[in-house]
Amino acid sequence: MGYFGLRSAVKISQRASYTGDHMSIIKNVTAIAKGMGITLREGFQPTEVENYPDGKGPLRGARLEQRFRGKHELQRDENGLEKCVACFLCAAACPSNCIYIEAAENTETVRISSAERYAKVYNIDYNRCIFCGYCVEACPTDAITHGHGFELASLNATSMVMRKEDLLVSIKTGLPDANKVHAEAVS
Amino acid sequence: MSTIPNSIFTPATAARFDKLATIYPVKRSALVPMLLYAQDDLGYVSDAAISEIAKRLDLLELDVRNVLSYYSMLRTAPVGKYNVQVCTNISCMLRGGFELLDHCKKTLHIGHKETTADGMFSLEEVECIGACCWAPAVQVNYDFHEDLTPAKMDAVLADYREGRGKDVK
Amino acid sequence: MPDVNFIVDGKKLTAPAGTLLIDACKSAGIEIPAFCYYPGLSLQAACRMCVVRIEKAPKLGTACTTTVAEGMNVTTESPEIAQARKATLQLLLGNHPLDCPVCDAGGECELQDMTFKYGAADSFYAEPKNHREEQKWSPVVYFDRPRCILCYRCVRMCGEGMDIFALGVQNRGSSSIIAPNVAPSESPDHMAALDCEQCGMCIDACPVGALTSGTYRYKTRPWEMNHVATVCTHCGDGCKTTLGVRSVNEGSEIVRGDNRDKSGMNGDFLCNKGRYAFDFANNIERLSSPLVRQSDGKLKPVSWEEALTFAGKKLRELRDAKGANSIGVIGSNRTTNEESYLLQKFARTVIGTNNIDHHRTADFVTLATALQGTTTADGKPRFASQRCVEKSPAILLIGGDPTNEAPLTAWNIRTNVRLNKARLYVANHQDIKLKRQAKAFAPVAEFGYAAFIDSLASANDFSTAVKAEEKLVVVVGNELRGGELAKLIAALPHAKFALLADYANSRGASDMGVLPDVLPGYQSLKGSTLASEYGAAGQSQVADAPGLDLLGMFDAASAGHLSALYVVGSNPIKRFGIDASALKNTFVIVQDMFLTETAVLADVVFPAANLYEKAGSVTNSYGDLQLVAKAADKAGVRSDFELIVRLADKFGHDVKTLVPFGKGLRAAGMSGDMGQTRGAQSGEADRHSVWLTANNLEPKLSPFDPFAILDEIQRVVPGYDKLLRLQLLSGNDQHIAPAASGLVQIQTGRKDLVLPAADTLFTSGSLTRFSPMLQDVQRHQASEHTDHLASAD
Repeated sequence: MGYFGLRSAVKISQRASYTGDHMSIIKNVTAIAKGMGITLREGFQPTEVENYPDGKGPLRGARLEQRFRGKHELQRDENGLEKCVACFLCAAACPSNCIYIEAAENTETVRISSAERYAKVYNIDYNRCIFCGYCVEACPTDAITHGHGFELASLNATSMVMRKEDLLVSIKTGLPDANKVHAEAVS
Repeated sequence: MSTIPNSIFTPATAARFDKLATIYPVKRSALVPMLLYAQDDLGYVSDAAISEIAKRLDLLELDVRNVLSYYSMLRTAPVGKYNVQVCTNISCMLRGGFELLDHCKKTLHIGHKETTADGMFSLEEVECIGACCWAPAVQVNYDFHEDLTPAKMDAVLADYREGRGKDVK
Repeated sequence: MPDVNFIVDGKKLTAPAGTLLIDACKSAGIEIPAFCYYPGLSLQAACRMCVVRIEKAPKLGTACTTTVAEGMNVTTESPEIAQARKATLQLLLGNHPLDCPVCDAGGECELQDMTFKYGAADSFYAEPKNHREEQKWSPVVYFDRPRCILCYRCVRMCGEGMDIFALGVQNRGSSSIIAPNVAPSESPDHMAALDCEQCGMCIDACPVGALTSGTYRYKTRPWEMNHVATVCTHCGDGCKTTLGVRSVNEGSEIVRGDNRDKSGMNGDFLCNKGRYAFDFANNIERLSSPLVRQSDGKLKPVSWEEALTFAGKKLRELRDAKGANSIGVIGSNRTTNEESYLLQKFARTVIGTNNIDHHRTADFVTLATALQGTTTADGKPRFASQRCVEKSPAILLIGGDPTNEAPLTAWNIRTNVRLNKARLYVANHQDIKLKRQAKAFAPVAEFGYAAFIDSLASANDFSTAVKAEEKLVVVVGNELRGGELAKLIAALPHAKFALLADYANSRGASDMGVLPDVLPGYQSLKGSTLASEYGAAGQSQVADAPGLDLLGMFDAASAGHLSALYVVGSNPIKRFGIDASALKNTFVIVQDMFLTETAVLADVVFPAANLYEKAGSVTNSYGDLQLVAKAADKAGVRSDFELIVRLADKFGHDVKTLVPFGKGLRAAGMSGDMGQTRGAQSGEADRHSVWLTANNLEPKLSPFDPFAILDEIQRVVPGYDKLLRLQLLSGNDQHIAPAASGLVQIQTGRKDLVLPAADTLFTSGSLTRFSPMLQDVQRHQASEHTDHLASAD
């Protein structure tokens, strides 16, 4: 950069000399000095990279932006029931065809979701998932979201098929007791 | 001679039904009059009445129920001895129909489509009963009372309670 | 009707006068949306979706009630019309819940489509929606009231289409609802219920998800299924059904049956069994592994190889030791034509006996004999097709109760009477429901059909009217058979005839020669070319003498003369009330889905696939040939076709003489090369396979390919020689008139072996008890103690 900077400075100074503005040489030199100054200063700063996986906290040093699309999470509503109503729209939207659902009907005694139907089986095949987020956009009940889980690598491809139990968020604390007991019993 | 053995209606009504079934070019035309007479006879249109009328007119019970449910003056549950029908349509409303209705609710301690504990009165809010010139109007069974105020209404109800009503059966 | 010319959206169109505008536009490819209009049903004009601008009319008009007129100028899409339709949709959506993600109709809902098209997603009506709980009207019909848009399609379908009138409209204005015929006050559980034929036509007609099916609800979504068009296995009418299939762990499972594509002879019609009774396939009692009886007397699951080897060797031993005629074979009336043909070929050429029969449900042999060589007045064959019932101007129904036993026949008769003013004559010993459509009814004493046939010769009102009909189709119930049937056919010399039989392929089993006394196509055992071909193919000569019939086999078994019995897809022990001890000294092989009364007596049981799990063709009781496509799949079962071939192989028979397959076995006289001769010539072979795929044809390279046998059927079975392969493979039906000539005279004095199945709308032979849905519906029907339907008179 320095080389090109100098050459252009010379060119500009030549042009400047035609116009008779001799102050431009000083300006150019100042600019180079400023640029090189930043370079030198940064060179002496401490290293700033993610200290993953040796960092602190549950993420072991990884820092993720909020909109990062990681492993999916299946959400629950305020009563601890599953939000997913097994409408299959995520599976229909999925370009890599990695979502498999089997629907079943809620009964009086066994209530899994708040609507008539729930997902008896909900599998996502992470061998195929491309984390495009279409499923999240398609979901009419905000049941599926992208979490921040990213440590999905595995030496065994069969372990990449996640079942509903692997994807479902845990029941939040702070629910009314009766609901919580019920939700735990159901799950 | 009744065409239906063991009719649930009084002999007079049964005889009337026998005739009704014959006077229309299409038999089922007799359905609405029959339902009205059946209601007068029994106080309401019971399942047994539906079944008998269906037989008399060669209809399905479902057909009878379809027509029955269309008309709000036909009812499928018994009401009190006096069915107080307060009109709250536009003319009566402007002349105090709602006040009258609220007054009845208060004095009888019942709401819309409810019956007093002693079975004397039932209250019903109805649409126009065709007495707009004398609004607000109330119909008790088949009897009309016009130009009412809450005070006049009390007198009407008292008359019925003491058996002085015009339409005592 | 003369044609009229009119203009729609600038296009000049022509249609017969009297055509409804909506229909005329549809034929010209212009779609006008409508909820309440349903072809074939009366007009309602309830939904206002089909409004169009007709020039010179003051307001927008409904296309579903306007007939085309000369010079009419119509606009079907304009901002004004879109606005009107959008307003209609907004009103409909005023109380329609937005639960599309869980609604069963989501994805195939007409309201959803229209809302997408006209963008009525926003509504002015902000009032809270009036929610009502879903109602269960019967095990198969559920009603979700807020979803209903009051198009009255279900009411008309039930009344006009099915002639049941179980649905009505109650209350008025915005509180109007569709109501079933059992009022809550009359029902045992105080819930509204349906007392009807449980056909589910209302569910199919429903444009939204207000009426949903008990067997399909909340299971999957329409786009998640594969849709396979095949033929129903239950009665003999041959309804086409589109099965919705989804993948499950054990293969693929059927979750829905309907015929909304209106293909086939049944249009959109299906009865209770066709629509719902596929659940036997998923029954947990279903066999999924071969069973062999062990020395301790118990049936134990073994490997396929072990079971087949054991059965084949033992059969061979018994054949060699006790003679071919000591072995009996019983076929099925639910297997495909190919399997039936293969089975009789197996009996006749592999084992070498004519001891083959099946449970006959109608006397097709007499029909074929009596009709051979005769024609109608205009020189057509006298075998009636199901399509004749739908189109013929006059129908005579003698015996039988199609409403219960052959629902499509009843539907077609009703439709024909309603839409085409056909004249129906009924002669029956009962007041059957179709009497309501009849122009004339002749009561017959029970077992008195012979007297009735005699009365046709005398001049009474009924016989005069019947004989005056020029194009008469006679539909005969299974009360008439043998001599009586022949007499009837002789009494009405120019009429077309059809027999009502039970089960999907009763006619096919007869046509394919699963009979002891005739070869396929009712050809003679003696002297016919097929007999000599079989003689050459078989290891022993085909005997000239007829074999034992079904009852004869069991008589022989009781007497100890039957060394082995091979039963394919049949349950004769229960059906014919045979004492189980009859088979105690017989080696029995059974192929079935379940451990039936016959299968529990067997020494070897093979788990078989049902008609929904295999490919082939079936012939309905009218002789209409249709393709069966493989829809479902079940781990652990094999098709009967494969089982017969593999048993023949283990028997020690050269399979190539049983099934012509593979290289160098082009059937004589077949012009089309089916790919067997190509070999591995690269490029050439590929191009050929592309052609085969494009024409829905497959190269027959496997001994388990039923089309190899279809080739042979086409070659050797009279009547089937005329079948058009492309017609068949495109899923169309073709009418087969068996043995136009050269039919043998069936010997007289033959025992009457026809045993009608006497199935009702809610039973289907041995399958009944394995279908939870049918059980449920039977319980539901029994719980309604009073009859809410109109009587026949």
